Amino acid sequence: MDLFLQLLANGLVIGTFYALSALGLTLVFGLMRVVNFAHGELYVVGGLLGWAFTDLVGFNFFLTLAIVIFSLAVGGYLIDRLLMERVRGQGEEPTILLTIGLSIFLTNTALLVVGTAPQKVLSPFASKPLFLGPVVITQSRLVLVAISAALILAVHLLIQRTTLGRSMRATFQDSMAAQLSGIRTAHVYGFTFALGAALAGAAGMLLGSIYVAQATIGDVVSLKAFVVVILGGMGSFAGAIVGGLILGISEAFWGGYMSTGLVDAIGFGLVIAMLLVRPYGLFGKQAERA
Amino acid sequence: MIFERNCLLGMLAAALVAPLLLSNQYALHIGVLIMFSVMLATSFNLIVGYVGEFPLGHTAFLGVGAYTAALLSTRFNTPFHLAALAAPLVAALFGLIIGGITLRLRGPFFVIVTLCFAEVLRLIANNWIDLTNGPMGISGIVKPAWAIAGDVLQQKIAYYYVGLLLASVSLFVSYRFVYSNIGRAAVAVRENRLVAQSVGISPFHLGLVTFVLAAGIAGLAGGFYANYVSFVGPEVFGFSFMITMIIMVLAGGKGTLVGPVVGAIIVVLLEEYLRDFKELRFSIFGLIVMAVVLFLPRGIMGFIVRRHEIYVRGASTNA
Repeated sequence: MDLFLQLLANGLVIGTFYALSALGLTLVFGLMRVVNFAHGELYVVGGLLGWAFTDLVGFNFFLTLAIVIFSLAVGGYLIDRLLMERVRGQGEEPTILLTIGLSIFLTNTALLVVGTAPQKVLSPFASKPLFLGPVVITQSRLVLVAISAALILAVHLLIQRTTLGRSMRATFQDSMAAQLSGIRTAHVYGFTFALGAALAGAAGMLLGSIYVAQATIGDVVSLKAFVVVILGGMGSFAGAIVGGLILGISEAFWGGYMSTGLVDAIGFGLVIAMLLVRPYGLFGKQAERA
Repeated sequence: MIFERNCLLGMLAAALVAPLLLSNQYALHIGVLIMFSVMLATSFNLIVGYVGEFPLGHTAFLGVGAYTAALLSTRFNTPFHLAALAAPLVAALFGLIIGGITLRLRGPFFVIVTLCFAEVLRLIANNWIDLTNGPMGISGIVKPAWAIAGDVLQQKIAYYYVGLLLASVSLFVSYRFVYSNIGRAAVAVRENRLVAQSVGISPFHLGLVTFVLAAGIAGLAGGFYANYVSFVGPEVFGFSFMITMIIMVLAGGKGTLVGPVVGAIIVVLLEEYLRDFKELRFSIFGLIVMAVVLFLPRGIMGFIVRRHEIYVRGASTNA
């Protein structure tokens, strides 16, 4: 029973992290219908920037987080305006290819600049274990779960309650009508992609303080984020959270009770099963378009 | 169609005489790589260019073919010609299963799920140590008699011509397929799914047939590769083969048969040429992919074919 509770707690913590790292992806897909295959690489860039500023330069953790979010947002805005805008309205394939090209470029450039060695973002939170009944959890993980929850909530409020969020939703629903009512849709697309990139970067830096920031993990992060997003339904916020928790918990239990070797295959198995039964995810809306 | 056939026949003639002019080991090694890449690109192009979906996990079939050939050769001492037959058959069987599941999905879902399958196969190859020897891979694949006869140069020439034979067979099958009723129906589905359905074409079954054929050709390429380098590891499922396939097909021009061949030749030569840049070349590849999508969406052959059509039309109106 104690093992069960411990595994459950681990699964919940890791699931929150998965949800955080998939948030940018689901946002960009839900609002822009763009599958960002460079998501994992933006995550990596965030983690590496976080490492560079906290470890090499010696900045404060939260200052660095602000810098990372800001620079990734600027980068994301530029990517959208310089690259994605040229293929907008040409269907899904060009954007998929464009982001694959971007991910190849980012991974290998990051490899050239920092090499393959795993780096760590310096964190102000102690990795001291806390004992909550039979469950052990480190302090830094608990703090990060809180930060993740706050970030998720903040983005939710941004989209639901602010003018920018409202114009994002309007653009997504009908860009022509949005344009007619005075929304500058080109900016809205740019800001949405910027938000997605900033979330990816923030996730990369936050998780880089617990795990590692490494140039080569982009593929794995992208794949896990895809798994989370498909489980929950592409574009759904609640879906990303539930998908993350499902993946985290099932991986924790599989690793705990069965074998650790194939633990990474669990997510893919879940996705394949899910797409056979409910192709639009748990929370996705059925949106078949001709 | 005739233009394309003439292009392919011209290339075949050039490829047949090429070893007479360039008989050194290095050039022939590159020739063998080109033959392997032509098979891969042709296979990938069948799905991208004719079904119109994007299988990001196409390395699954390359890997299955390579592992089939490697296991048959090391465990059962199967001779090369039987292993080279079994590799595409097993890969096609995987294509039937995976295609049957994934072709129900479209767009980004299809892309991601095919990727999931390749990733699962890679994890299995990495972890099922009894069968695949895990990350160490399978080495010591037995080469056939013709491949160990004579000096190194003769061996390379032998591999070159076997590669040329297999690549020609792949292209011939693809050619017959693309210009059959099935191929034309596939183009109809790609261009307008609803219209195709309304005239009685079933997109799913068409896609599946194409998928199985493409998987078989990728498996053939895998079997040939395994025998040539005499080693197979889990990285055959990896993303780097995928990247080269994408670039070959896109840069050459998807949806044409000549395009991927041209793309394969260019990419192999470019890869050798950029070898001096070491890691930088992958960054350059990333930039090339983006540039092709932005500036040359139909690839090199798409561009040439279009020019040719305009030229032919111009000539006929003048006459």
